[in-house]
This record gives sequence, C-alpha cells and structure tokens, in this order.
Amino acid sequence: MAFISYLLKRLAFMAITLLLVTLIAFGLTNILPGNVALLILGPNATEESIAALEAQLGLDQPLYLQYIDWVVGLIQGDMGTSLRYGTPVSELIAIRLPRSLLLAISATIVSVTLSIPLGVIAAVRKNTPTDLTASMLAFVGLSLPIFLWGLVFIYVFALTLGGFPTRGYVSPFEDPIAAIHHLILPASAMGVALTAYIMRMTRSSMIDELSEDYVEFARSKGLSERAVVLRHALKNAAIPVITVIAFQFSYAFGGVVVLEEVFSWPGIGRLTLTAIENRDIPLLQGCIIVIALIYMLSNFLADAFYAYVDPRIRYGGEE
Amino acid sequence: MSTSRFTLTEERKAHYGRFIRQFRRNQKAMIGLVIIVALFFVAIFAQKITIFDMTIQPFSLTPHEPEATNIQNREESPSLQHLMGTDDLGRDIFSRVLVGARISLYVGFTSISAAMVMGTTIGVVAGYYQGLIDEGLMRAMDAMMSFPPILLALTIVAVLEPSLNNVIIALALVYTPFIARVARSAALSVRNESFVEAAVARGESDTYIIFREVLPNCVGPLLVQASINIAFTMLLEASLSFLGLGVQPPTPSWGLMINQGWAFMGDAPWLVFFPALAIAIAVIGFNLLGDGLRDVLDPKGEIIE
Repeated sequence: MAFISYLLKRLAFMAITLLLVTLIAFGLTNILPGNVALLILGPNATEESIAALEAQLGLDQPLYLQYIDWVVGLIQGDMGTSLRYGTPVSELIAIRLPRSLLLAISATIVSVTLSIPLGVIAAVRKNTPTDLTASMLAFVGLSLPIFLWGLVFIYVFALTLGGFPTRGYVSPFEDPIAAIHHLILPASAMGVALTAYIMRMTRSSMIDELSEDYVEFARSKGLSERAVVLRHALKNAAIPVITVIAFQFSYAFGGVVVLEEVFSWPGIGRLTLTAIENRDIPLLQGCIIVIALIYMLSNFLADAFYAYVDPRIRYGGEE
Repeated sequence: MSTSRFTLTEERKAHYGRFIRQFRRNQKAMIGLVIIVALFFVAIFAQKITIFDMTIQPFSLTPHEPEATNIQNREESPSLQHLMGTDDLGRDIFSRVLVGARISLYVGFTSISAAMVMGTTIGVVAGYYQGLIDEGLMRAMDAMMSFPPILLALTIVAVLEPSLNNVIIALALVYTPFIARVARSAALSVRNESFVEAAVARGESDTYIIFREVLPNCVGPLLVQASINIAFTMLLEASLSFLGLGVQPPTPSWGLMINQGWAFMGDAPWLVFFPALAIAIAVIGFNLLGDGLRDVLDPKGEIIE
C-alpha cells in the first residue's frame, strides 16, 4: 500500500514537472530567431502572403494561446507539421525513435555484459593489481566524451582492422545480418562509455555485501567461494546496480544525440540536429519533448524500482 | 554571545586543519590537483597576454602561431619541428592544443562559477525558507533536469547563436539545478542545527543567518559537486564544439579541433589523437580531484552525479 501511494505521489510530481518541461521547450524554441512563415514561403514572399500563412498557422495569436494550442495538440498526439519535410512531426519521430531506442538498448546490453563481471572480479580481488587496473580503466572511461569513443571505435575497428561499416543504418526487418553489422560499432562505443559507472557501482556494492555476516555464514556452511559470490552476494548487490543500469539507459538516450552524428545513424538525435540546422521549430519542439519524456520515464522507473525493493526510500520522504 | 561565536570559529579552524591533512593524504585528490595546476600553467603561459599596451605575461610556450596556416605543410606527421604534427590547414597542433587548455579552463570555470552563484542562491533559499518557495524552486529545477544535459545545452546554444560566451551561458544554466539540489540538501541539514536556531533566537536577520551560519556549512558538498561538474562542462563543451554548435573557428577549442580533424582521421590520426588526449587529461584531473574531495568531505556519498 505504501508503495502504491509513493508511486502515485511520484506520478503527480512527474505530471507537474512535465508541464514545466513543455513550458521550457516551448519558451526556448520560440526565442529562436527567424520568421516561420518567411522560412516556408521563401525570400520572395509578399507581405500579404506571409500574413495569410501566419493566420493559417495561428502565428498571429498571442504566445500563450499558441502554447495552449500546442499542449492540447501534444495531448492528442499532434505535434504539428515539420517546416523542412512538410509531413507531420509525429510521423517523422515515429520512424526515427525506434532506431534510437535500438541503439540505446543495445548499448546498455553491451555495457551490462562488460561491467558486471568486471565489477565482481574487481570486488573479489579488492586492492590487488587486477582491481586497481580495472578501477583505473573505468576512471579513464568516465573521462572521455561519448563521441570520442565513437571515433576510437571507427578508427580501430573500421579504418585500421577493417570489416565494419563506419556509418549508416540498416533496418533489422529488411536485412538482419547487415543490421547487426551496422549496429555493432555504435552500440559497443556507447556501451563501453557506459561501462565505467555500472562497473564502479557493481564493485562498491559487491564489496559491501561481501563484508556482511551472511556471506561469512555461507562460507562456514562449506559453500564454494564461487557459489558464495555468485549465488549470495551478487543477488543482493544487484539492487543498486539495477538502478544504476536504468539511469545509464537514460544517459545513453541523451548520448545518442552526439553518437548518431558520428555514425550517421538516422535516429531522433540526428533529427534534432537537422531541426536546429533548418530552424524547424515544430520538429525541434517535438524532438525535445519526446527525448525528455523518455529520459524522465527511465529515471522514474529507476526510482520506482529502487523504492519497490528498498522500502526505506519510501519512508524517507521526498529526498 | 561573543564567546559562543569565538568557539565556533575555533571549531571551524580545527575542522579546516583536519580537512587539509586528509586532503594531503588522499592520493586521488593530490594527483588531480597536480594535473589541474599543470593545466593552469599551460593555459597561462601558452601565449603572451597583452592588455592595452602592457604585456602582462611576456613569453609564450607555443613554438608556432596557433592560427597561422601553411598549406604547403598540411597534415605533416609529428616531428621535432611540429611535436604533434600539423592539421589540414598546416597549423601546428601542439600550439593549438596548448591554447586549447585556455579555452577549456575558461569555459569550465566561468560556467561553473555562474552555476554556483545561481544554484547556491536557489538551493539555500529553498532549503532555508522551505514550504511553497521550496516547492516552486525545486520543481523548476526538476524540470530542467528532465532534459538530457547535452540536449538542453545544444538547444540553448542554437537559440542564442553558437559562440564561446553562449556556450558558457548554456552550461551555466544546465548545471545550476545540480548545484541547487546539493545546496538545498546541505541547507536543510543545517537548518535545524542548534547554532542556526540560536541565531534565529538572537533575532539575527535572514541574510545574516544565510551568509554567516548556513552557507559556510554548505561549502564542503558544494565544492565536491563543483569539481565534478567542471569535468562535465569540459566534456559537454567538447561535445557541443564537436557538433559545430559550440566554440566557433578559428578558436582552437579541443572539441572543435576534433570536429575539423575527424574527416582526415584515416590518414592523419594525430589531428584527432592529441586534442582527444588533452580532453582526457583535463577531465581526469577534475574527476580525480572531485573523487578525492568526496572521500574527504562526503564519506556518506550524498552528492549526485
């Protein structure tokens, strides 16, 4: 019961936050210089035609009415029409969003398979050269921007060793093999970039668990060290780690904006950059809202999961 | 009354001494500090600094003019003449990397200083007054944190036109909520301490209490947060410049150098390698300092990343 009411409270907070998010997105994009009607009609447009189009688009309305119109549209799933493509923004996003999700999810999978074994090994061999090396590598990993990981992977695996395409996307429904082939480099680059955090978290929470009494008890029962580590300690250490993984997914989703540019991956990140380049305000607003919504949702799920498994959070109030 | 204040300062002095000793013993913090001092050295002495007619800093570490192009010598591999090679316009990469330290530190420190002023004000006001003010301010901060930092930063820069100063404005805005959160929780935790209650009972003004009693007790966690966030602003500046939405050419920002060198990476990897190395060293320096400071100041781990 306490969990349900915690969840409802958090959802209510999220609704308020979301409203503020739309306000920020709308406010910011409306400062963008450039007359929308002029952008559509081109430099030879007459004053009358500009005025007519502005009336048709509702741009002659006061800003707060435009905002209300936009939010009402958003709720109905209507994000307006892109100035650059002339098609509904929602359609453009619907095509590109799954590609970005594919990239972010694959990256998260790569980083989990790398970081959890590394973290466990580092924790078990705490303060040995192995641990020190792993921790130092993680530190370097944290200190490189995601786009640089992309360039490193392109340089090493595509340009030097060969065998991987440097750019582009292939739909998994058309050609699954080529799709995976194109996905491997960007997903690994981002996966490695995310590895550091999850590895550090796994390491520190494993160290905590391994010092608990029940671990000593399991050892004294005569269980093998392997069973103690994997079956007992890791299971309990998983809680904070899973939370970090969920946060890392949202981080990955933010990272796609830059990484998609490196690999020419036609997802929502590149769509955002195209919208900025073309001063395509409706498209930019749509992209911002959708990215922020997914970012918020994955953070929310991480919080909710954490509260579910660790009841202390719920009673700790808002902090 | 005066005695109570006296003991308080004595206590703070002892606290400060303990901090210095622990800091000196912390390897991470010391290595980070050494890297940062070295970066400052490079940034200050990279080029002559002339203000009006006075040459404040008379000599220059850069062997070549960082913006001088020489098409005959383009994409030369590293040599004694050009330690890090030359770029696609024949500019000396070593000189540009050195001047890049200036840009990177300038962006990092100005944006985080601005974020510290705004974030600390918002956070301390929210934590001290609580109630509706707190709710309103913190919901606004939550909304700003609901955007991935890179997305918010690049939208702000795009709206204001890409330039060095607008990058700083964008980064300051993006990191304000992170600082505000830390300042608020620090202010909340000292709000109910006896020395604050004593000050309220003495009838001191809110401004006095906030500046003399609450703020000094928030310095620790804020310092940790600022150090970690400087590392983040450097990464973000590099990413923005890499996307062409940051510092504009010909200013030698590390991210911009990678943006311009990326196309030649296959034949001339040094165009990307050296600026990338510079970014990594700078960010590692601030991350190490932040990590070390956290070990010393925040052993319970209350700081958010």
